[in-house]
Amino acid sequence: MDFYLGLAQVIGIHTLLGLSAWCVLHTGQVSIAQGAFFAIGAYVAGMLTSMWDWPLALALGTGTAVAGLVAVAVGFPALRVKGLMLVVATTAFAEIVRLFFFNLKWRVETPDGLAGPDGSLGFGGIRYFPSNGWTTFDVNLLIWVLVGAVMLLLWALDRSRIGTIWRAVGEDELAAQSAGINLTAAKVSAFGIGGAIAGLGGGVFAHYATHIEHNNFTILLATFAIAYPILGGLSSLAGTLLAVIFIQGFLLEGLRFIGEWRSLLFGVLIVVVMLVRPNGMINRSLGIGSLFGTKGAKPSGAAAKPGSADQKGAPGHA
Amino acid sequence: MLELRNLSRHFGGVKAVDTLDLTVRKGEILGLIGPNGSGKSTTVNLITGVYQPTAGTVSFKGQDISQRAPHQRCELGLARTFQNIRLFGHLTVWQNLWAARVVRETGWAGFKQRWLSGAAAAREEAEALLVFGDLAHKRDMLAGNLAFGEQRRLELIRAAASGAELLLLDEPAAGMNAEEINDLDNRIRSLRDQGRTILLIEHHMELVMEVCDRVAVLNFGRKIAEGTPAQVQADAQVRAAYLGTEEPAAA
Amino acid sequence: MAMDLLDLLDLSQSVIDGLLFGTTYSLIGIGFTLIFGVMHKINLSYAAASIGAAYLSLIVVTAVPTPLVYAFAALVGGVLGWLIYLICFRFIPINNPLATLMSTVGMLLAIEELISHLTYGMPQNYPALFASSNFEIGQFFLRGDLIFVFLLGCAAMVALTLLLKKTRLGLATRAVAQQPVAAQLCGMGVNTTNASTFIIAGLLGGTAGAMAGAAIGVLSPLMTLPLTVKGLVVTVIGGLGSIPGAIVAGLIVGGVENLFQFLRGVSERDIYVMLLLFVFLVFRPGGLFAAPGGRD
Repeated sequence: MDFYLGLAQVIGIHTLLGLSAWCVLHTGQVSIAQGAFFAIGAYVAGMLTSMWDWPLALALGTGTAVAGLVAVAVGFPALRVKGLMLVVATTAFAEIVRLFFFNLKWRVETPDGLAGPDGSLGFGGIRYFPSNGWTTFDVNLLIWVLVGAVMLLLWALDRSRIGTIWRAVGEDELAAQSAGINLTAAKVSAFGIGGAIAGLGGGVFAHYATHIEHNNFTILLATFAIAYPILGGLSSLAGTLLAVIFIQGFLLEGLRFIGEWRSLLFGVLIVVVMLVRPNGMINRSLGIGSLFGTKGAKPSGAAAKPGSADQKGAPGHA
Repeated sequence: MLELRNLSRHFGGVKAVDTLDLTVRKGEILGLIGPNGSGKSTTVNLITGVYQPTAGTVSFKGQDISQRAPHQRCELGLARTFQNIRLFGHLTVWQNLWAARVVRETGWAGFKQRWLSGAAAAREEAEALLVFGDLAHKRDMLAGNLAFGEQRRLELIRAAASGAELLLLDEPAAGMNAEEINDLDNRIRSLRDQGRTILLIEHHMELVMEVCDRVAVLNFGRKIAEGTPAQVQADAQVRAAYLGTEEPAAA
Repeated sequence: MAMDLLDLLDLSQSVIDGLLFGTTYSLIGIGFTLIFGVMHKINLSYAAASIGAAYLSLIVVTAVPTPLVYAFAALVGGVLGWLIYLICFRFIPINNPLATLMSTVGMLLAIEELISHLTYGMPQNYPALFASSNFEIGQFFLRGDLIFVFLLGCAAMVALTLLLKKTRLGLATRAVAQQPVAAQLCGMGVNTTNASTFIIAGLLGGTAGAMAGAAIGVLSPLMTLPLTVKGLVVTVIGGLGSIPGAIVAGLIVGGVENLFQFLRGVSERDIYVMLLLFVFLVFRPGGLFAAPGGRD
């Protein structure tokens, strides 16, 4: 039972990561930086609780806010380029952040001894959960409440005017611009919200893991982040969650049966899925128009999607 | 309403648009014609802000908009359709319209406006346009799945949904048959009667001569003639640009 | 920080070493840019395949002289390139760049893991040529093996340029890149041409992998990710789709990398390389030589 509770925690945290990427991918941006915002949230929240004894909610909130603000700041220059260049820019940013935390050394005296990140030795002693008597069940509850809240938020955004504008930008930037949409505002807002969500996930991760280091936040993590919504199908939030369950379940459960080879098989799995269902497992034809300069994708001829983005209902408020 | 003064756009050594002076008066339908390569598309892109001018100015409603971004020009009341249709292919017909309509009410000012007038006003406008474009029955269809003529209509009403006072139509008749062109003629007139101004870039001479109040002719980036359709048709330079000059008779 | 003449000489030596190694980055950058120029998609597994090819060339290391080991690496690289084309590019719809991207990511992961498993994560020695020779020019020592790597890289680039400019295949590659539909109508087999582009890029990549191994002395799966990232940086700085750009950018990145390694140490040097990229993105997003592309 404990094993499954542990698995559920990981799934929840990775779902937040995947949702952050979903957000950004909706405006047609491919970002390899979600792992970096995850890291920022992790370090900030972890430092606040372990070094200065902040309450958890405040620490998580601050981590989320900092990650979101950094995302907005980085977004302005980075989102002026598109497609492959954005991929490279965000990859470079991710590396900068990782290397920054690799070199970060900031220790303070606390009643329980020295606390804080210790350069290449990592950042240990984030003991908020054990010190305050949180059980695995409690942590799970927190994680899944947060996941639910974020999914609700994104669902509401998608249905609203903002969602329509985001998708229009993702479809055809030139047409969107000519129809009066401020591209920068749309892209940076999606990027910022995505960054904030990743920061939230990171904050929770830091407390779940109690010890974090730069190796936890490599580009590999960032590719997981975009793999979830892409494999799950961009047209629905549930797809991302399913993809996380499928992949993490496979990777962790698989440890029992195929042991060390599970990462290799994961790679092969991705390749196979992309060959068989290039639009993701749950596909309702939300293509990403001109990602790398190619002409817009043809819709797969599906009928209108029920629910989700239909504007028949009362229009959402911003 | 729209004034191009001494407008030039060079690409390296090529003068795509060369010292162009053009005025579009409020409420009129102005046609812009010229042989291929004469600079019509570049002019449209200069007006909408896709290109910055190398020299000269673009003014709209008295304001110099030469350095404004495309979406800002749209906010001021300038909208366009595209020669190669650029719809939001994976959004429904309704969503295409809605995106253009909704973006007029973003931000704090938009929030207050919605609060005061209610969200219904915007939806009614969009619904009316849907009916105007004869696409009400296809509102939930993905824009990419529409027939060609329907796609052109959607582009037209989407541009109108932006609240544009000046509509730039970039070769809207390309690929249409006679019946569809007739239909387009009527729609353009309706849009003008609704209070809009139209700048029509076209190759279809019959349509241009039928529907336009005035016509301007470009060749090699310069304006070579301007006037009523009849005047322009009779102009010798225009004929030369399109048809070439007469060969001198063999001795 | 005050630098006396000796420090300055050491610094310059470092930079020169970096420049020589930079041809490796150039080759990887060229590979990325070739594939991007033709398919408008990115093959993220390229560097991993290159290192993989070098690993596979170790099979023959005891059987043949060293230059042939390098040639074997290049050949294997070509084969791997073709395989990756088949698996990740050929059958995925052309208008779905995200799927291809993910597919190459999966490939990258698979290759890296495969290497780790088969070698138990232990670095493998890779043969170098002229390792014991040193050339003295004034105050500088130029390592023989680095010079060889540099010259081999230059030779590869010259061969590539000749191929693209002077042969029918090269012409077909460029035509398909610019107008795939029209090229098809002119009778060029798009799939065959694309496959050959991947094979050519693979040959280059295999060479690059071998050279990286030769210059560093060992091969390790830990090399794949940094090589991928640096290669992407080179491609962007050089200008997407520009081969001369990738050549110059590779040298720049190699030099800058060693410069900052000398000044700030190994753990910080990559930060500066990334910052260099950001500077380019902000001030010159087209890269050094923006490829002649149509306006959108």
